[in-house]
Amino acid sequence: MNRSPLTLALLSVLLGACTPADPQQKVTSALADGVILPAYSSWAEADQKLAASGQAFCAGQQDLPQAREAFRAAQSAWAGLQTVLVGPITEGNRAWQVQFWPDKKNLVARQVQGLLKKYPQLSAADLEKSSVVVQGLTAYEYILYDESIDLTDAQQKNSYCPLITAIGKHQQKLSAEILADWQAKDGVASQFKEFPNPRYAEAPEALADVLRSQVTAIDVLKKKLGTPLGRQSKGQPQPYQAEAWRSNASLANIAATLASAERLWHGANQDGMQSLLGSDQDALKKRIDAAYLDTRQRLAALQRPLSELLKEEDGRAVLNEFYDSLNVLHRLHEGELARTLGIQLGFNANDGD
Amino acid sequence: MKRRAFLGLAGTALAASAFGGWTLVNNHSQPLLVSARDGSDGQHYAVGYHLDGSQAFATQVKERCHDVVPHPSLPMALFVGRRPSTESYLIDTRDGKLLQTLTSPADRHFYGHGAFHKDGDWLYATENDTSEPGRGVISVYRVQGSRLERDHELSTHGVGPHQLLWLPDGETLVVANGGIRTEAESRVDMNLDAMEPSLVLLRRDGSLISKEQLPERMNSVRHLAIASDGTIVSGQQYMGDMADKVPLLAIKRPGQPFEHFPLAEEQRQAMRQYTASVAINSELRLLAMTAPRGNRVFIWDLDSGAVRLDAPLPDCAGVGAVEQGFVVSSGQGRCRLYDCREEKIAMQPLQLPAGLWDNHLRIA
Repeated sequence: MNRSPLTLALLSVLLGACTPADPQQKVTSALADGVILPAYSSWAEADQKLAASGQAFCAGQQDLPQAREAFRAAQSAWAGLQTVLVGPITEGNRAWQVQFWPDKKNLVARQVQGLLKKYPQLSAADLEKSSVVVQGLTAYEYILYDESIDLTDAQQKNSYCPLITAIGKHQQKLSAEILADWQAKDGVASQFKEFPNPRYAEAPEALADVLRSQVTAIDVLKKKLGTPLGRQSKGQPQPYQAEAWRSNASLANIAATLASAERLWHGANQDGMQSLLGSDQDALKKRIDAAYLDTRQRLAALQRPLSELLKEEDGRAVLNEFYDSLNVLHRLHEGELARTLGIQLGFNANDGD
Repeated sequence: MKRRAFLGLAGTALAASAFGGWTLVNNHSQPLLVSARDGSDGQHYAVGYHLDGSQAFATQVKERCHDVVPHPSLPMALFVGRRPSTESYLIDTRDGKLLQTLTSPADRHFYGHGAFHKDGDWLYATENDTSEPGRGVISVYRVQGSRLERDHELSTHGVGPHQLLWLPDGETLVVANGGIRTEAESRVDMNLDAMEPSLVLLRRDGSLISKEQLPERMNSVRHLAIASDGTIVSGQQYMGDMADKVPLLAIKRPGQPFEHFPLAEEQRQAMRQYTASVAINSELRLLAMTAPRGNRVFIWDLDSGAVRLDAPLPDCAGVGAVEQGFVVSSGQGRCRLYDCREEKIAMQPLQLPAGLWDNHLRIA
């Protein structure tokens, strides 16, 4: 072999250009197929079932517990999507159309009543041009669970059914459109595999977008727990400020979000974010693994609904411990993991200048 | 800013010869992008990069800077301290040499913006009079060789001034008075219940030509861009509720009142009540804006108001006009060139370092 140094240099440049050797690109590609797309598919599927359930319920082919089950599945799928809110769902106010939280002033009750007064025979088109407050899961939950509504009463059921079916259709359409955006040729999923593309200049930008969504979701979990716990209101519990308090699904939603955060960390085949940490980062890897385990165990140990735990001092104490556990998980991602991966999470956005 | 890039080397050399002691050493055909940027070491830098990615300079400075003001003819630029900094840095843009650290006097701090007069012998910078918090001051510095000497002050005729720029006549100053009072060494708003934002036009002697306000009191007028025909555009930051429907882009066409630029609801919402930088490409008659909280870059046709681009860019920051269209920087990702010469705008990532770019960039 008598290759000159120049030939070798050129060769390595060529190799570098044609092998997808970039570890970050491998991870964003694996996450897109193994974690993100499946989450969007599950969400679209759950919304399809929600729409079918709403129609069946109103046609008398499903009972209320069945309708509630379909709702809780859709709500859980949405909670599982919180860590991968990147791309089209973040655009055009779409996330608000799915869920209206926090609803500090119980707008959902007032607006649902106002809407039905205005459109007794509400159509899908009427709903499309109405406020986001009444378009999504929060309004659906209000109708299916609020104490003031009795859906076993035929007359009441008749008055709410146009809205139940319209919300179901709206959610189905919205999630199907977004899933199609992801799956299309040159769609959003492809933008996590080939760079540069109109969204990301290079793989680190795509990875940063996912990490940012994951960190935000964990931070929002702290808010979803901390607000009803009264951490922003001098320790005075605020049970009606909880997410999904009517369906008693607050903790179930938190569990779904946490599970999806952990899927991003591990990846579907051990090819998630953790695979980017070298052997010299074993300590950090172990601490993040331990933090996920800790949050999972504490959550499993709670057993009872949030509303019940909030009423008792012991309950609030274990919730506060769970909050601290979430905080550790949040800090590890926001601080050390971001730093280790070389990701800048925020610089100008909170600048105020 | 952009004017210099189009003038080309000949014009710069000609103008430079008028100032003794300066020689022009710029054999680089690429425009120079100047901006404040942080290093991965957490330190603050004044940097210059050619658009091909080659570094002209990166000079460490003590305080974080905001906007950069290139001198109209000499190879130097003032990196203006970010509110409430009391320091700005005059940098030689050929090699990054720190020519002077400008320190604001007692009871004053910089607001991150300034402007050189077209003849190159005066600099105007917005400052806060902290003895009367928020009273807008324009400090006027005389250019003495490669130094700036504080000469006198003017009033901005408003509260909490931010960016200032010249009308094309080069004699009329346009000031964005943000309307927010803040104290020395603080970034905390003191008067959100009684904000007084305004757009002010004044002469170099400080006399007021006009003072106009938008209908919403909490809509802080922050950043400016001015077209070669004198059209003024301002970008706002809304301090009120997230749910309030307030447009964040305003326009004052020559001889017309200061009014909202027509924005589609989808774009208005996407800005999330916060805009960072605005720029105009006068040749292409386009207007660009960055919205770092919404992570979106927008480009509109300046005359028709039609949306030309609504694209994602996490933590987008500075924007500046270049021959092809606009260059945009980001606090998190790569800088991008948006080529707007064809109907379909093409994006090309630039090989400059990714992320940590501050809110404004200039093409020197």
